[in-house]
Amino acid sequence: MKPSPFSTTFTFTKRGLGLLLVFGGILGFLAIILIDILDVGRQGGIGPAQRIGLGLCIIIAVIGLSLIPLGSAEV
Amino acid sequence: MTTRTTADPRLLMLFSRALTAAALIVLFGYLLVYIAYAANLMGFPFDYDQGEGFELVDTVLFSRGEWPYRNTDAYPFYSSNYPPLFHVIAAPFVWGFGPAYWYGRLLGFLGTLITAGAVGLAVYREGGRRDAAALSALAFLAANTIYHIGPLFRQHMTMVMFETLAVVVLARANEIDDTGRRRRVIAFGLALIILAGYTKQLAIFTAGAAFAFLFLRQPRRALVAGVLFALAGGAIFLWMNWATNGEWWRQAIRANVNLINYDQTLGLFRLWWNLYGCLILPAALLGLYQLYFERLSIYTLWFAASLGQGMLSGTWGGGDSYFATSIAALCILSGIFAARSLNGAWQFPQNYLTRLFVNPVRRFAVPFRRALLVIVPVLYLGYGRAVLHMPTEGAVFEPVADLLGLEPNALNGFYDSATRIVGGYADIGHFVTQADVDAGWRIVAMIRETGRPVLSEEAGFQFAVGQEVITNPTQLLNLANNGVFDGTALIDLIESQYFGLVILRAQFYPENVLRAIVTHYEQRETVAMNGFDYLILAPRP
Repeated sequence: MKPSPFSTTFTFTKRGLGLLLVFGGILGFLAIILIDILDVGRQGGIGPAQRIGLGLCIIIAVIGLSLIPLGSAEV
Repeated sequence: MTTRTTADPRLLMLFSRALTAAALIVLFGYLLVYIAYAANLMGFPFDYDQGEGFELVDTVLFSRGEWPYRNTDAYPFYSSNYPPLFHVIAAPFVWGFGPAYWYGRLLGFLGTLITAGAVGLAVYREGGRRDAAALSALAFLAANTIYHIGPLFRQHMTMVMFETLAVVVLARANEIDDTGRRRRVIAFGLALIILAGYTKQLAIFTAGAAFAFLFLRQPRRALVAGVLFALAGGAIFLWMNWATNGEWWRQAIRANVNLINYDQTLGLFRLWWNLYGCLILPAALLGLYQLYFERLSIYTLWFAASLGQGMLSGTWGGGDSYFATSIAALCILSGIFAARSLNGAWQFPQNYLTRLFVNPVRRFAVPFRRALLVIVPVLYLGYGRAVLHMPTEGAVFEPVADLLGLEPNALNGFYDSATRIVGGYADIGHFVTQADVDAGWRIVAMIRETGRPVLSEEAGFQFAVGQEVITNPTQLLNLANNGVFDGTALIDLIESQYFGLVILRAQFYPENVLRAIVTHYEQRETVAMNGFDYLILAPRP
């Protein structure tokens, strides 16, 4: 039986970290896009900071995807 | 045939050791330059880097038991945006020696030596090689950025020292079996991060890396530690805010929100790569190796987080110093890479990446391992060439500079490979001369002559005269940029020509203050000191 994430014996696996990064990257990407959709009064569309953020989110998600096949190896 | 195959590796080992010794000699040479530079600066009684004098003001205020976070709309319009710890550490020197620059610079310098020691210790602990540990520690001190800012009266390198000590303490904390001891070690490591944060706010990135590391290893432990960390750090924050009537928040947090100049950030990343690329490469390779073939170390997470500090290097007030933490991290990672390579200790457990990229080239493992014996010291030699900086004048340095064919490209006969390719690059590193000292005393004599308070962009002159320091121009600009500086009372004094002189170095004051100055004061003289033109303005008749 797998230990709960809040047990004293739990540690992240490569797969677990991979999933975390994929979800984090996707959520971050959507959140950055939503800044412009929700805050319609802003000027200039997607700015340089947002572009850097979007790029980082994509990189994070890709790294996450590449970790998933590594399975139960500990992080 | 048998003889040949056993003799060749021996020759190769000998060659590798000779290259490693050469790299150690080169990097040790930079240590000598660094010591000479630090000694030179400690004897200079004025600002070498703009703002040092205001850090001395903070130190003097703490030595009197007063806060430097003050209302800037009331006389003497002084406040600070830096956390207190560095100045608190320096405060006892004020009791013994009065206001002076040398002890702040000495503390900064000693902090870099301690950091280098921690870098070397981390590499030795992970790799078990003295040569790799020595190369890493010396490489840290040889970095142009560390050289530039190490012996300054500034808090940045003390923050880096606490950050480095913290990650080295936490690196193996999770593996401690004894629960009580493990808790004490983690508490000590996190306390060091709090100390780093109350030295300079940028340490928040190191806090992020430390908690990411604890979380990945054991989420429950990280959450408990995180709550206690937040309570301790938050309590200090609230107490300081209460004790300063909210000025801590206004001056150190709110006034520190500044726009990023992306061209400056990109330029400084380019400079970072050009100078330290020879060690960034092995550091990044070790990080990738840990990600896919081993457990992630705190050093890899710290290195990644430290690039966040680098991203902020384009802010007003930021600069190449924002890469100092990443340099400590990359020196540790590249040192571990070097130790493993020299030990031939790389292992690749079977996974899809091993099957794709490693197994097809396994037959080249032995020659590749031998090649690494040469590649590693060559990387350090390449690093030694990339960070080249030294005086080109003087009895000791001139013959070496002549031998290397160096022409000075910085002030006062100095060569520095960290060329100015973007704004925000600190124009420092050269030695000061007697002419610089004389120029400073000339400005002091002018202030004495007026017998009245002066407005100066450098506090050192006022300390020399024994006058009260009025205003901290860069902080007033920070506040003005964030819309929380009024300036009416200061401008009234300027308009009434209350100040005997106004001394400008870089016109850092907010625009409305500068406008009042040029309207009511006129330039009387220009004094060149330490590469800057100090404009001396007197009241218009």
